[in-house]
Amino acid sequence: MTKTTIDLPPKGGFSFDLCRRNAFLESQGTKMPKFRKTGTTIVGLVFKDGVILGADTRATEGEIVCDKNCEKIHYLAPNISCCGAGTAADTENVTDMVSSQLELHRYATGRDSRVVTALTMLKSHLFGYQGAVSAALVLGGVDVTGPHLHAVYPHGSTDTLPFATMGSGSLAAMAMFESRFKEGMTREEGIEVVCAAICAGIFNDLGSGSNVDLCVITKGGKEYLRNYQQPNPRSYTHSKGYHFTSGHTAILSSKIRALRNQVRVVEGDVMEEE
Amino acid sequence: MGDSQYSFSLTTFSPSGKLVQIEYALTAVSAGQTSLGIKASNGVVIATEKKLPSILVDENSVHKIQLLTPNIGVAYSGMGPDSRVLVRKSRKQAQQYKRLYNEPIPLSQLVRETAVVMQEFTQSGGVRPFGVSLLVAGFDDNGPQLYQVDPSGSYFSWKASAIGKNVSNAKTFLEKRYTDDMELEDAIHTAILTLKEGFEGQISGKNIEIGIVDASRKFRVLTPAEVDDYLAEVE
Repeated sequence: MTKTTIDLPPKGGFSFDLCRRNAFLESQGTKMPKFRKTGTTIVGLVFKDGVILGADTRATEGEIVCDKNCEKIHYLAPNISCCGAGTAADTENVTDMVSSQLELHRYATGRDSRVVTALTMLKSHLFGYQGAVSAALVLGGVDVTGPHLHAVYPHGSTDTLPFATMGSGSLAAMAMFESRFKEGMTREEGIEVVCAAICAGIFNDLGSGSNVDLCVITKGGKEYLRNYQQPNPRSYTHSKGYHFTSGHTAILSSKIRALRNQVRVVEGDVMEEE
Repeated sequence: MGDSQYSFSLTTFSPSGKLVQIEYALTAVSAGQTSLGIKASNGVVIATEKKLPSILVDENSVHKIQLLTPNIGVAYSGMGPDSRVLVRKSRKQAQQYKRLYNEPIPLSQLVRETAVVMQEFTQSGGVRPFGVSLLVAGFDDNGPQLYQVDPSGSYFSWKASAIGKNVSNAKTFLEKRYTDDMELEDAIHTAILTLKEGFEGQISGKNIEIGIVDASRKFRVLTPAEVDDYLAEVE
């Protein structure tokens, strides 16, 4: 049989052929490239009508903030979303792939996707790569069986919880949840608790910062609230440049010199052309 | 016929320059239930007969018009199981395109990739051509479009087309009725009238299927109740 026109990458896990050579180079002093991690505080909780997911918006590359307003809440299906912590490329690509597979599954079955389906696809993929895909996810959605919230770890294990936090700011956020969470909260109460948890991560963890993104999922639909809270507004220089009112600088001495101002009117002839 | 000596092997040309297996595949399509499509100025409609082999078959489980992407749908004439394989391949190709280019696949690209698959099966050993022709309808950045793909792998863009049984009568009817500035509602009525022309028996929402896509770019199959409403309007 002839090959199909689009070449897919070979099936199977990573190829570790170059690892020994890389380790040797590193021992010789070559600097390994830093990759973009999301540091991150991501949270989710189940409230009366569904699920609320929250995330901060800082992406770091080592000690540098490389993106002050990145999007960490990813689309999986019209009724399912996923927050991602860990290596940014890993979380984005793994959620894109599972989103694609879920769409094909929806066409084949003629039904809306279920959260457990997304969960199983994610955990199978991550387990297959034995933790090399560094993606820690908080998966939430509402399907025919009700609202669901799961935490997925890079090695492929999962937790099913009424509230979950992941990322470097997870301890700060979990402290807020443990003290404030109650079953059956309303939408407003839920949003308040989620924002408090993310803000705890933003202010107390260096890997998290900037703004709060929210995603509220109910039976009626999904509401993506990008930059719902902005507790770290940026101050930009004024478009007119720096402006100093008088009195800002002390005057030591002043000297005024008048310019001579004379105007003399002279009658003359019109210039003749030769 | 001198060709019959060359009709068994797909990969052998006959003296008259034809691949007889492909001709036979087209015959299989002509024996299939009629499908037709009409491109209007603001959308596309495709319709197909859904005659079931017995009254005992659960008609809710039969879906002849399928979705390939949110804005592209397909109807077929010929062998149903062959169309299933193509629908599955096309859906996967659309997803791969989206993953590669982060853009929903344009209709002409999807049609071309499906046609390439169908052509591969006319030039390989040990396989037979697909016994279906497809009518692919969609609405993308280039507006509403209707394509027909044949078992040979050739495809054309049509303003209106019919495939399957009764195709010559249906095409004559469409040629008379088609106007360039037709709107989607008129196109649906024309499609129903064209199907009615060659229909044996009582036409109803249970034995035809209609799929439409309009400027909202969401392809959907009409429910039997909606089809009955349109049939009542046409009476």
